[in-house]
Amino acid sequence: MSGANFSTVTLLIGAADRGDPSAADALFSTLYSELHRLAKRELARQSLPVTLSATTLLHQAYLGMAEREGPSFPDRARFMGYAARVMRGLIIDHARNRQAQKRGGQFEITSLRDDFDGSADYQELKNISETLEELARVDPALAEIVDLKFFCGFSFAEIAAMRAVSERTVQRNWEKARIYLHRKLRTDLSL
Amino acid sequence: MSTLSPDQWQALSPYLDRALAMTEDERGAWLSSLGERDPGLAAQLAALLSEHRVLAQEGFLENRRFALPNATGLAGQALGPYTLISQIGQGGMGSVWLARRSDGRFERQAAVKFVNIALAGRAIEERFKREGSILGRLTHPHIAELLDAGISSDGQPYLILEYVDGEAIDQYCDAHKLSVEARVRLFLDVLAAVAHAHANLVVHRDIKPSNVLVTTSGEVKLLDFGIAKLLEGEGQTGAATVLTHDGGSALTPQYAAPEQLTGRPITTATDVYALGVLLYLLLSGRHPAGSGPHSPAELVKAVLDLEPPRVSDATTADNSKLIAERRGATTDKLRRELRGDLDTIVGKALKKDPQERYASVTGLADDLQRYLKHEPISARPDALAYRTTKFLRRNRTVVALTAAAIVLVIGSLSTGLYVANRQRKIAEQRFAQVRQLANKFVDLDARIRGLQGSTKVRLQMVSDSLQYLRSLESEGHVDKDLALDIAFAYVRVAHAQGDPTSPNLGQFAEAKESLSQASKFVDAILADDPKNRRALFIATTIAHDRMVLADAEGRHEESLAYAKDAASLIERFLSLGNADPGDVYSMVYFYTNVANIAANCRRFDDAIRYCRRALEIAQPVEKAHIGEGGIYEALAETLRQSGDLEAALKTSNQAVELEQQQAADGHAALLINLGNALTTKGMILGRADAEPSLGRSGEALAAFQKAIAIAEELTKKDSIDFLSRYAEGNYALEAGNVLRHRDSRGALAVYDQAIARIREAKANSSTQRDEAELLSASSYPVRWMGSKAQAQQRIDRALQLLSDAHRFPAEKVEPMSDVYNALRAQADAYAETGQEMKAVQAYQQLLDELRAWKADTQNDFRDATCISRTWTALADLLRRVGRTDEAARLEAQRTELWNYWQSKLPNSQFLLRQSLVQIAPPAVSRSTAKR
Repeated sequence: MSGANFSTVTLLIGAADRGDPSAADALFSTLYSELHRLAKRELARQSLPVTLSATTLLHQAYLGMAEREGPSFPDRARFMGYAARVMRGLIIDHARNRQAQKRGGQFEITSLRDDFDGSADYQELKNISETLEELARVDPALAEIVDLKFFCGFSFAEIAAMRAVSERTVQRNWEKARIYLHRKLRTDLSL
Repeated sequence: MSTLSPDQWQALSPYLDRALAMTEDERGAWLSSLGERDPGLAAQLAALLSEHRVLAQEGFLENRRFALPNATGLAGQALGPYTLISQIGQGGMGSVWLARRSDGRFERQAAVKFVNIALAGRAIEERFKREGSILGRLTHPHIAELLDAGISSDGQPYLILEYVDGEAIDQYCDAHKLSVEARVRLFLDVLAAVAHAHANLVVHRDIKPSNVLVTTSGEVKLLDFGIAKLLEGEGQTGAATVLTHDGGSALTPQYAAPEQLTGRPITTATDVYALGVLLYLLLSGRHPAGSGPHSPAELVKAVLDLEPPRVSDATTADNSKLIAERRGATTDKLRRELRGDLDTIVGKALKKDPQERYASVTGLADDLQRYLKHEPISARPDALAYRTTKFLRRNRTVVALTAAAIVLVIGSLSTGLYVANRQRKIAEQRFAQVRQLANKFVDLDARIRGLQGSTKVRLQMVSDSLQYLRSLESEGHVDKDLALDIAFAYVRVAHAQGDPTSPNLGQFAEAKESLSQASKFVDAILADDPKNRRALFIATTIAHDRMVLADAEGRHEESLAYAKDAASLIERFLSLGNADPGDVYSMVYFYTNVANIAANCRRFDDAIRYCRRALEIAQPVEKAHIGEGGIYEALAETLRQSGDLEAALKTSNQAVELEQQQAADGHAALLINLGNALTTKGMILGRADAEPSLGRSGEALAAFQKAIAIAEELTKKDSIDFLSRYAEGNYALEAGNVLRHRDSRGALAVYDQAIARIREAKANSSTQRDEAELLSASSYPVRWMGSKAQAQQRIDRALQLLSDAHRFPAEKVEPMSDVYNALRAQADAYAETGQEMKAVQAYQQLLDELRAWKADTQNDFRDATCISRTWTALADLLRRVGRTDEAARLEAQRTELWNYWQSKLPNSQFLLRQSLVQIAPPAVSRSTAKR
């Protein structure tokens, strides 16, 4: 094999920025497997079951990729916009797996790490995610804040720094996003 | 409760912003006053705000209570009749597990792929169910069967595939040392599989060695057929697996066809391309884009623009022996086997344009069969086309080396070549060989460089020389002097292949290869003996040549890096002392180009510094004085770009004078330098457009016309020569731009002649860009002479060309670039034909795109001028449609910018004229477009 190693996350981000849907897909795939890989590695390193910090994971992913791809790799802020979205996917995937295990469906329960989270309801998260997708089409900046804050755990200050706006703006947008989501979820849910 | 539509949300959003910024009390008052004006709106807002209160109380989304993924143990679990055994991989789409079926009926192994679809949503699940059945029907001995596909009750999609225990095809071939013929035969099996799939309307889209396995019994199996299609959304072009995994988690477009990278439709021809890449690899051991790490942009550029070397030429000196061994041959034998029909076949499969490739896999297979039977193949080899990389339009070209200087240079080195080497213990025959080679260069090249019409001769020389050099190298250990001879020989070959500063073949990729070969030798020697004069000289030459190539390809950061290398090597060489006058001249010449590059990268202070240093060095050495014209020209251009036009003109006049003297002395190659000097002078004197200038258009025109005449002369004499064609187009553009304000007809003639010339040459992305520039520029006189429709046609064509050259559409636009000029021409066209709304939109978009490019209006005079002119055009338009506030704002911005620059450059005539333009009465109609 030629042994050459090319990297194109940089390219993908550029194309995705321009609105190319297939590049966005490919980007998400890459980021997903990268984050997944990092998560597994982290967990393998720690002997005690412990909560992984999403932000740590994201920062590690960023550093790793930036190093590999060199100076043309986009800055942290742009990267996080996409990576946060992927993190959401990871979290929801995980919630579903745990759900399946609990219900015992086709996958039987084998030894699991401690169940340190009781209440994340897969369905709830899935609904939030779908509504978030809608919001992303109407007002993408708001959807992004939800990914960054709710799913990834970045603080208002960190988000403000990444997006080069004031903290107050971030807070305000957060409230707007919450209003939208809450409204949609209530009306969409059949009670 | 009614649902909230996107439009409603957009309308309410700004009000929400305000409301959320207020306190509860303020809100109440504000809402009621709003209610008086627009009760509906107020009611909706109130509803949302009360929703907000509720969710705040609930703590909606406040607690993140979920954990992150941990390694779930799936081993031992059942999936239908299969049991999962162990994870065997992690692909881009999800994890892959080995599974075994044991349901009493029979035992079989399978690979289970879990697909991550959390990212994609609902639609993909349905599609998955639907499409899985289509793929299941693909049965062929060389295709790994899709046994089942489905969604588990928890929504986890999975694919169950025939498990193939085999090696990737390239590794298999190498491990078994398969000959070329054997590889082709194996490859035909692969083609059979792909052809079968195509007949069933399934395109693979992701053919690469890791998807083409060969079992221990020598059977080929293709994996992952059609999975890309399964995963793509409606209306997407399926680029999801354009990127391949390479061991780790990096995705690479190594096997992507050009249309996959640019989002055009995927067809069976896309698979043909990937197969072409695979065949290239199997035959030559290399990827068509070259070995070694590439940056993403480089790789895309390679796929989209660079013609790969022929398969038979592709083996590099590094491991050519090893590669040949793996094919059961020697390097010579291998090259002979690959040369000819296989070159042609692989070349046809790898054509950038899908229409030019084999239309079907069967076509490719047929030709390969014919090759095996020694029958004539159907594909035609390329005519002697020239293969060029992007020869970026610059506002200047670099200085050419004089023929006289070449002789000097060679003269100063050749004494070292053979005379002193009596002690060398090399075989008599080898000595003679090397001598022959060097003589070839010394005699041929020196004379050739000055001659016109010699490109074909150069071609011959290049191929002969490469042959010699390779045979020399492959024979093993070389001593120091021989090594330097070889290095220098490679440098000369590189010049002939693609040195943009002299007549060349435009083979930039090959030139870079040759330079790499050269530097291998030189670096080794310098490591050992850092004061070796010859080695230092050659190292400097190499750094300079790389710098120039990088600039020609538009890789500015890289060219700047090499420029710095070159500068430090020059100083190192000079510090050795006692340099031969010819060598000093060379150093001056190198420095001049270093300065040019620095100026191109907008490092004006550095450029000026380098120029002054070059003058310093040249001063005491008479022979080096021939280089002075070039230094002055570099200085003039730098001064022009940095805004000091008066000083620029003075310096430019000096340059023209000096170059005229040189040209008069009869050195044809120097005419280009004179042409450049005249163009620079012309640009300083005046273009009534956006370039900073002195506004003396009559004089400017005279200078341009002289430059064009020179370029025409040169092109007549050697029409393959890349340099003169480029120069011609460039000069014509400048001339036309000045002329069009006084004489539309004349300008159009100039433009059209240049366009006709360009169309004569074979199209590539650089000619496309040049043509686009000329078309954009020519749209103005065409329109001013009354043909609005034709003018628009030209603009459309320009944009089409830029799109073909992958320059457009773009999110970022560089000031004064080809894309800028085309978009500006379009906006101006709208403005001048009464389509004000479109014009406003076009200007605004252009300004956004300029901003996105981060134009540096504080430090770069040209950027500032460009933005300012665009603001002016937009402001005028806004006034015409009555949006006076916005217009005034833009004009204020403009004034601020010019005030800033006036304090920087207090005596600039150009700036004074800018202020005058601003004062002009705003209501003047611009529909009669005389400016």
